[in-house]
Amino acid sequence: MFPRPIEQYNPGARVAYQAVLPVVLLLWLIPLLAVMWFSIKPGEDFTTGNYWGWPENGFQGIANYMTVFTQSAMPQYLWNSVIITVPTMFGAVALSCMTGFALGVYRFKGNLLIFFMFVAGNFVPFQILMVPVRDLTDQMGLYDTRLGLILFHVAFQTGFCTLFMRNFIRALPRALIEAARVEGISEWRIFWFVVLPLMKPAIAALCVLIFTFIWNDFFWAVVLTQSPESQPVTAGITAFNGQYRAMYHLMSAGSIVAAIPPVAMFFLMQKHFIAGLTLGAVK
Amino acid sequence: MRSIFKTGATALAAATMLSGVAYADGHGVSGPLRIFSDMSNPAPRAVMEGMVERFTEANPDVEVELVITDREAWKTQIRNVLQSGTADIVNWYAGNRMAPYVDAGLFMDISDLWEEGGLTETLASTQGSMTMDDGIWGVPYTYYQWGVYYREDIFAELGLEAPTTWEEELSNCQAIIDSGRACYTIGTKFLWTAGGWFDYLNMRTNGYDFHMALTAGEVEWTDDRVRATFENWATLIEMGAFIADHQTYSWQEALPFMVNGEAAAYLMGNFAVAPLREAGLSDDQLGFYQFPQIDPSIEPGEDAPTDTFHIAANAENVEAAEAFLLFVASAENQTLINNGDNLGQLPVNANSGVDDDEFLNAGFEMLSQNAGGGIAQFFDRDAPAEMAQVAMQGFQQFMVDPSTLDQVLQILEQARGRIY
Repeated sequence: MFPRPIEQYNPGARVAYQAVLPVVLLLWLIPLLAVMWFSIKPGEDFTTGNYWGWPENGFQGIANYMTVFTQSAMPQYLWNSVIITVPTMFGAVALSCMTGFALGVYRFKGNLLIFFMFVAGNFVPFQILMVPVRDLTDQMGLYDTRLGLILFHVAFQTGFCTLFMRNFIRALPRALIEAARVEGISEWRIFWFVVLPLMKPAIAALCVLIFTFIWNDFFWAVVLTQSPESQPVTAGITAFNGQYRAMYHLMSAGSIVAAIPPVAMFFLMQKHFIAGLTLGAVK
Repeated sequence: MRSIFKTGATALAAATMLSGVAYADGHGVSGPLRIFSDMSNPAPRAVMEGMVERFTEANPDVEVELVITDREAWKTQIRNVLQSGTADIVNWYAGNRMAPYVDAGLFMDISDLWEEGGLTETLASTQGSMTMDDGIWGVPYTYYQWGVYYREDIFAELGLEAPTTWEEELSNCQAIIDSGRACYTIGTKFLWTAGGWFDYLNMRTNGYDFHMALTAGEVEWTDDRVRATFENWATLIEMGAFIADHQTYSWQEALPFMVNGEAAAYLMGNFAVAPLREAGLSDDQLGFYQFPQIDPSIEPGEDAPTDTFHIAANAENVEAAEAFLLFVASAENQTLINNGDNLGQLPVNANSGVDDDEFLNAGFEMLSQNAGGGIAQFFDRDAPAEMAQVAMQGFQQFMVDPSTLDQVLQILEQARGRIY
């Protein structure tokens, strides 16, 4: 069953809960805190073994972040991420609005079959697709280009988005659409003027979700791209590793920078994000 | 004497450079040239792109098509690229790593180019590692030395000198241990660091040729000579020469022991110098010595991993490819791409200049004058990848518990029977 509210437990359990909670919280946050801490420490601290202590020669947070922005390809990587994420977001959401409308509104033979095919795509582990997709991209001349990544992400994300949109449209009152039909409005205009405005909350939620998914994608970024001209920031962070050495401080600073856009997106659009996670689940 | 130390080298360098260009011009090279490179890390990538730019400037009729592949991925792709005939020039490594492609006839024998281009003079230190089956199969473009980096100040405090013989080594080490330190730091978490120790101990105990035969799978791992190597190693381990719990550290995580004075030395490649300096060790505190001899009758062999360019056997534009290889190996280019702003390693051309750096100079001198045994490429390059993995795991196990030697050697011998 649902957990009982903590207030209803006996006092002993409540005290134990309050004592353990901060410890567990800290334990969970240690990796994140470590990255933040390392990102403001000078590089030599990792060679002197001073991982957790106060840096002897002062913090180098500003220098580290300056290095990330001025002496590495980080701005290029960030820009690549934007170029990859935004079109993917629009592409996948636009396509799934249309597929969702078609599958949700029209009754035709094979409707369910097509819908299942979209859904089934979500259940294929993408590691299985790695080799064929890489070969396909290579043969199409799109290997190591941003377009290759965009096209693949749009194709792959549309499955999930369609599931989401179709269920949302199914939940809309059918009477609205039928009323419009009685008025003799063309199907295209029903989609554009009746259904689409009603889908705004779903579109917003989906945009936030897809943005976060794609921005955080590491796997396909590594499989399909390899030069600074096309790699997004998640894959580009490894560029701070030399051939022999790992630059922990710069990698940490880079990770923080790379994490800011999705985190900012989350806080700005928190309402939609949570709606997005639950919307698909209700139906 | 192929010393480079600045004076006089300039004239030679200029001459070599001119002859290189003359050779290229003489053939009037032109047409497309397809280069597949694995220089994918940021600094090497910039070097590769810079070389193509300068080569194209000097040879405007050549259209270079450069494909840079991820360095790790390249190890599995090179065979496809060579077989499919899509490349004129490829990057690879010297030594035994060339063997699969030399045996399969995928690399072009460029012995003539070495003769005509004067490379047998200028690249003499690496000629051995580029030679196989009486052919020369490519040109190197960079390498770096291995050796013992040590804390001069700790040695001075204890009244020690850098050792040159095994006896000095052992007595030094005992003195260091008595002062409450470990002689050597090492982090064997990723195994390869232990491979370095085995390379040196085996090359000093049994010689370069034996070491090469062993890594080529021609000698049994249970051979008494291999056991002798491990005995020397066990001597060090049992006296407490290495830091404790080394199997939990990466090579970088083992650096603090040396910086903080808990260990006096580190057997490592020259890339260890930069982080040690950043950590505040001055050149007065930090020194370098060649791994001491064990058997005085054996010429010292050295580890110096060498990166190379090769011409594909089915290359379409051989003349342009040869011109590019000469350009890469020229003293001027070697000086430039190996300086501190670029690769920060050792140039392979004896007429090149080396940055005025204590350790680069020491390495250059050691490799060009005091590596009579030969230049090895490092254990995981000399042995096949699968064998190297098994063997280095064995080395780590042995370092943690020397009493498992018999078991380790059995595993290695079985692996040898299966892999070669």
